[in-house]
Amino acid sequence: METHSIGVSRERIDARAKATGRAEFGADIRLPGMLYCKGVHTKYAHAKLLSVNTEAAERAPGVVCVVTGKDFPGEKVFGEIFVDQYAMVYDKSRFLGDVIAVVAAETQEQANAAAELVTAEYEELPVLGSPRAAMEAPAEICINADYPDNICGNVHVIKGSVDEGEAEADVVLHSHYKTGFVEHAYIEPESITVIPSRMRPELTVLGSSQAPYNLRMTLHRLLNLPMARITVRPSAIGGSFGGKIESVESIAARAGLIALKTGRPVQYTLTREESILESYKRHPIEFDVTVGASKDGTLKSLRVEAIGDAGAYINMSPPVMYKTATLGPGPYRIAHVDYNATSVLTNNAHTGSMRGFGTPQAILALENTLNELAEKLGMTPLELRRKNLLHNGDVSPCGHKLDFHEVSIASVTEKALAESDYERKYQQYTEENRDPDRRVRRGIGLACSMRGASIGADGNGGDVSRVLIEVEEDASVHVNIGLVEIGQGLRTCQSQMAAEGMGVSFDRVTLGETDTSRSPFTGACIASRGTFLGGGAIYDACEKVKAIIAEGVQKHYKKPVDDIHFENDRVTFADMDISFEEAVHACYHAALTPMAAGTYTVPLLDWDGHVGEPFYTYTYSCNVAEVEVDLDSGVVNVIRMVGCHDMGRAINPTMVEGQIYGGLAMAQGMGLLEDLGHSETTSAFKNLNFEDYLLPTALDVPDCNTALLDEHPDPRSAFGGRSMGEPATEPGAAALLCAVNHALGRAGTIREVPADLDRVFHAANARN
Amino acid sequence: MEFQSYQKPATLDEALAALRTAHQPLLLAGGTDVLVNAREEHRYQDRSVIDIYGLPELTGITETERELIIGAGVTHAQIAASPLVRAHCGVLSAACNTVGSLQIRNHATIGGNIANASPAADSLAALAILGAEVEIARGGQTLRLPLSDVIARPYRTTLEERDLILRVIVQKLPAGCRYNFYKLGRRRALAISRMTIATALCVDDHGVVTFFSMTMGATFPKPLVFPEINAMLTGKKPTDEDIAAVAKALSDKIPEIAGIRASTKYKQPVCRNLCERILKQLLGGESHA
Repeated sequence: METHSIGVSRERIDARAKATGRAEFGADIRLPGMLYCKGVHTKYAHAKLLSVNTEAAERAPGVVCVVTGKDFPGEKVFGEIFVDQYAMVYDKSRFLGDVIAVVAAETQEQANAAAELVTAEYEELPVLGSPRAAMEAPAEICINADYPDNICGNVHVIKGSVDEGEAEADVVLHSHYKTGFVEHAYIEPESITVIPSRMRPELTVLGSSQAPYNLRMTLHRLLNLPMARITVRPSAIGGSFGGKIESVESIAARAGLIALKTGRPVQYTLTREESILESYKRHPIEFDVTVGASKDGTLKSLRVEAIGDAGAYINMSPPVMYKTATLGPGPYRIAHVDYNATSVLTNNAHTGSMRGFGTPQAILALENTLNELAEKLGMTPLELRRKNLLHNGDVSPCGHKLDFHEVSIASVTEKALAESDYERKYQQYTEENRDPDRRVRRGIGLACSMRGASIGADGNGGDVSRVLIEVEEDASVHVNIGLVEIGQGLRTCQSQMAAEGMGVSFDRVTLGETDTSRSPFTGACIASRGTFLGGGAIYDACEKVKAIIAEGVQKHYKKPVDDIHFENDRVTFADMDISFEEAVHACYHAALTPMAAGTYTVPLLDWDGHVGEPFYTYTYSCNVAEVEVDLDSGVVNVIRMVGCHDMGRAINPTMVEGQIYGGLAMAQGMGLLEDLGHSETTSAFKNLNFEDYLLPTALDVPDCNTALLDEHPDPRSAFGGRSMGEPATEPGAAALLCAVNHALGRAGTIREVPADLDRVFHAANARN
Repeated sequence: MEFQSYQKPATLDEALAALRTAHQPLLLAGGTDVLVNAREEHRYQDRSVIDIYGLPELTGITETERELIIGAGVTHAQIAASPLVRAHCGVLSAACNTVGSLQIRNHATIGGNIANASPAADSLAALAILGAEVEIARGGQTLRLPLSDVIARPYRTTLEERDLILRVIVQKLPAGCRYNFYKLGRRRALAISRMTIATALCVDDHGVVTFFSMTMGATFPKPLVFPEINAMLTGKKPTDEDIAAVAKALSDKIPEIAGIRASTKYKQPVCRNLCERILKQLLGGESHA
């Protein structure tokens, strides 16, 4: 099929506004009479809150009001799936990011000063600082009374019989891997501005919201307002990576409460320290992995017990565990799988959506275990993978027969290997590293993954996207969609799909800024669903609008339109070839309205809770990482990373490459560097800003990293494309740890990330 | 960010006059520490800021026969780029080039770095092996004190409330001296050093060491050099055993001076490994790694 607007690297529609500083981010907003907020955090991670004393703060200069959790007129808790999160706590604190009161004042400085005057009385409760502590705690010590054993989610994939598989296997290998908390580290800390209507109880919310409809639901719930009286219009957003959902709902609820109380616009902006303290993180997960294989390397069985730290609120933990369990077995043919993933409430920071959603951890555990297995079998890591990677028609580890699209993981992998010269380097470094005098060693690692597109069977039937498309009188096309631009380029991509779908030029399309009062409810821009699901809805709306225009054309020109075709700004039918403008003019002339809501929903998937079709379709990924490890100091230098992905058709190839480069850098942080300095005794994080929480800098990420595409348009996607946000960072940390362990001379030498200076140095020395 | 008051004098005399009368004066000499610290708590709310950044009397690098004289207001970027520093004190140039990021190097001053007394300051180990002294204006007098007498312990100096650092004086290295400045950080920029190692070494035509000085930064409470360790190579054609002995002696200083800490089991062996490696490189002819 010839395409005009997709598959083209269009300049991003927001590039110039953002590059020149014209784009307005949440904290840029200034309104007359606006109040500023400061939250007061609990002193203890786990404590009964006996009283909160706000009188002194209320009398402080410039203070307009002080609110506490008791002041919410509606429900006290929110959450998309599990409703257990407090925007402000009033009964007890569950983690150190809980807020006990919020001060609103004329200036930020006045709010800050007054917030220090708020005091509280607590009765300390035992702090459950790890999943193990939470599971072993006596029943009376729980974080949420509905979950007395602190276990808040479990997904158990069962295919075949692992006992049987292990009995058939010649080699059964056991290993244990562990990952830590990871911060999203979006460059823009959360900021929300709430504007009350002067006419009636009604709020407009601006700022950094990744999920405006979730936010609307939360305000509806806590503030007792009808959804029709809550309009959310996200501002330009400085990154999110899954992070600006529940945390932002919390501050929006607090600001909304103050706006209703005072009738004044209210802005609530977090400092970096507050952002890291309050916001949820990537799940730390511990994996017990048992893998069985025959002598020739054929995988027979995979058994995994995964325990994820949910933190103080359930948040997205069960769906995260769903992806850990269903995507953790990787893109391999494995007959017998038993993958049991459990999330446990603790007094740590809650954990939730973060790019990858439970899979970067699982892929790290699996791929490093496979390298241990390869070593035991006397094979190379690559030989083991070539033997077991999925092909067309194979059944996935979770039981999904893959006969509906190109199962390209083998070709994706070969492309990444060729680009990185993997085989030669693997041999060369293995040889070199036998020399005990070589103190700076090199290693190369590869990791593969398959990522289910969108939410999956976990949300069976509810995975819907909607859009409103209207063609104006001048034949410009106005698209209103609630999937948010968070820096990934989604709206440029959506414009391209709308142009393709309407058969018009790209310049004819205008994407309205996301506005919940103009775009129909569409779920959140999460789960790598923006391009895939948004594309489906756009396609549907375009078909409907074109049908309306066709009706107008038929009436106007009095010719049959059975064969009407919209392409490249021309409309052809019967013996006619008219411009798109003429067709739109005909439609309006016939008193028709060329406007339609488009809907796309993922078909119901055959999933019984343990086995079947966990997702509708998949993206295939392979990362290769090459590192240099200094045995004398533990310093790891990343030499190069290569990311190759098949996301179907790349709607905008340059933006897809951008996702890959960013994903590789993010994986490098998780694999080698990022550490919040968590204490299991107090549940506190030591590293609350970017001086202490170290991300890779431009000097750490290699300039020669490479992004490769292996495109196979997906027949299950309207425009052939799947989304790329999460696959981009899925296998990177795994590949890096494989590479570090290769340099250290043995797979599985390090089984915990981040593989930082101390960890690498001590592992290297334990070896020698 | 809270301060009692702020003033920006135009000359050194004005600054010294302001310093004599200000209530709880706080000198601002670039701000890469003060402005960061001021974000947290109410640390400076009673302090009167005197902004001496850019005072002409505090800028410039000059030389005498044996010394380089560096104005307290000279930035790390200026030191790193100075032909004089490169020619005579290359190790300081290299050290200043590793500080923070380009933006920080462009704004942070050497005087400010000393006054802040961070144990992890990257310039300090290099200054220590260059026998740095600090010239201070105190009560109308000018004093010249060794660097190790000015820095007392982490984030504490012996400077008095109304002192102002005027200049830093370092000894020129002998001509042809090889040097190395190694920074061990968790990442390649904007990382607080876990350890720095500054080394300068001269070898004559016969391979005999004529000058040697080596010490670590981000390791001890204040900048220190160890004459007895520096003497271990001087006058010798060092063997592998001599090198190993120096590396051991230096790394043994870590528990001896800083005490046994959680980091010791990392730092002590790493220090030994790296000192050995650096000395082998320098004796093998490599300079400025």
